[in-house]
Amino acid sequence: MRKSESGKSSPGFPPAAAASLGALALLLIWEFSARALASEIVLPSPLRVARTAAELFPTARFLSALQATFLRGMASFGISMAGGGAVGLACGLSPVFTAALAPALTVIRATPVLAVILLALIWFPDWAVPVFAAVLMAFPVVVADVRQGVRAVDPGLLEMARLFRLRKRDRLRSIYVPALAPHLAAASHGALGLCWKVIVAGEVLSQPARALGTGMNRARIDLETAEVFAWTLAGILLCAATDAAFNLFKKKEPLALRTA
Amino acid sequence: MPYELRDIRKSFGDLQVFAGFSLDFPPGKVTAVLGPSGCGKTTLLNILAGLIAPDAGELRGLGDARFSYVFQEPRLVPTLSALENVELVLRASFGTGERKERALRLLAAVGLAEARELRPRQLSGGMRQRVSLARAFAYPADILLLDEPFQSVDLRTRIGLMDSFLDLQAADPRTVVFVTHEVREALYLGDIVVVLSDKPARVLDRKELLLPRERRSYGSADLSDVEAALYRLILG
Repeated sequence: MRKSESGKSSPGFPPAAAASLGALALLLIWEFSARALASEIVLPSPLRVARTAAELFPTARFLSALQATFLRGMASFGISMAGGGAVGLACGLSPVFTAALAPALTVIRATPVLAVILLALIWFPDWAVPVFAAVLMAFPVVVADVRQGVRAVDPGLLEMARLFRLRKRDRLRSIYVPALAPHLAAASHGALGLCWKVIVAGEVLSQPARALGTGMNRARIDLETAEVFAWTLAGILLCAATDAAFNLFKKKEPLALRTA
Repeated sequence: MPYELRDIRKSFGDLQVFAGFSLDFPPGKVTAVLGPSGCGKTTLLNILAGLIAPDAGELRGLGDARFSYVFQEPRLVPTLSALENVELVLRASFGTGERKERALRLLAAVGLAEARELRPRQLSGGMRQRVSLARAFAYPADILLLDEPFQSVDLRTRIGLMDSFLDLQAADPRTVVFVTHEVREALYLGDIVVVLSDKPARVLDRKELLLPRERRSYGSADLSDVEAALYRLILG
């Protein structure tokens, strides 16, 4: 496939078709590998996984686990956006605050996820462990993006706002929000993806009663590898669905809010 | 009562910008302040507007004054239309209907009635500065500060912008402080022309221009003597 100088695909080969071909190639590699290994415990075939998923997904056990994981994901996303947003705002406005917070953020960023989960297991009840770990991991991402957004606000516009004695809410709506919007979108996207990964990892280790991670781990203990894949598939679909919903919202709602 | 600066002192580190600077600005008149680049013209505006506090000195009549500003660059909110940009500065002072009526009237006065729904990026540089002028006159200010707002456009557009300014000023006279380093602009717009020295700035000359504006056009010989005298003063 030829590419133009700007990096865009040449007309005639739509990106959707390329993506479909890529997915097909992945499935073929998986299928051939499963045949070569000839062991369902090591690597079940895609068809076997699809059948297991079709059996698992309508069950009450699965739906209740999915609901609990979804709620944990949303809670950790909400908390990390609210907390990270507030701290990012303070960092953007105050270099002193940024400097004071830098060591804590560096420690959080450098700490392995598993270490956070293990410590959380000591400190919190099992249902709260994934949420705590996800919030802690997403927090620095949100802080960095929001801080960058605040710093992107045009100082000339802020001076104009001061001279014309704009009300705080008008400054916020007309100057800060439009400048912050793309950075908030990036923060949300990053935080959401991270939250799902950490939530499931936290559930595998903390084993709350209802959770995708718990189902995944129990299937592993029972050597039901196809079911492990099915639970994993549910996690992937959950992440993809929220991603798609997020993109839909982004398209529908121009983030640069207008005051008119 | 004129607005006055008395014995103003201001330094930035070792750099002394004003060392006992005094000047008054008669109400309803355009005071054009001429001076070389970096002599402290923008600092003067910032002190007047209260953006910078002087180290010493007195600001008379300026305590409760409201200011509007036309900056070197238009400083319009990129996500708002021309109309919304003008309305934005009126939100604290006017209700919805009056605000819109006022903004539309001012945009029409600068020839932008048709372009009111366009965003800044859809407007030319001259049109953006017209929106900035409309915004400044729409805002209920006592004093209007102009910081070399006609510099970034070509001569024809510049004259058009200055004519728009004069029309707005004639319809609703404000006390205007206009800083520039262009002698011709000062002569075209000013009722009073003040010439500043290099730092620390002091008033080298202050002239009241009595010649009617229609005789001050670019290329007119009526002001050539004054113009030559101002150039001599500026260039030393």
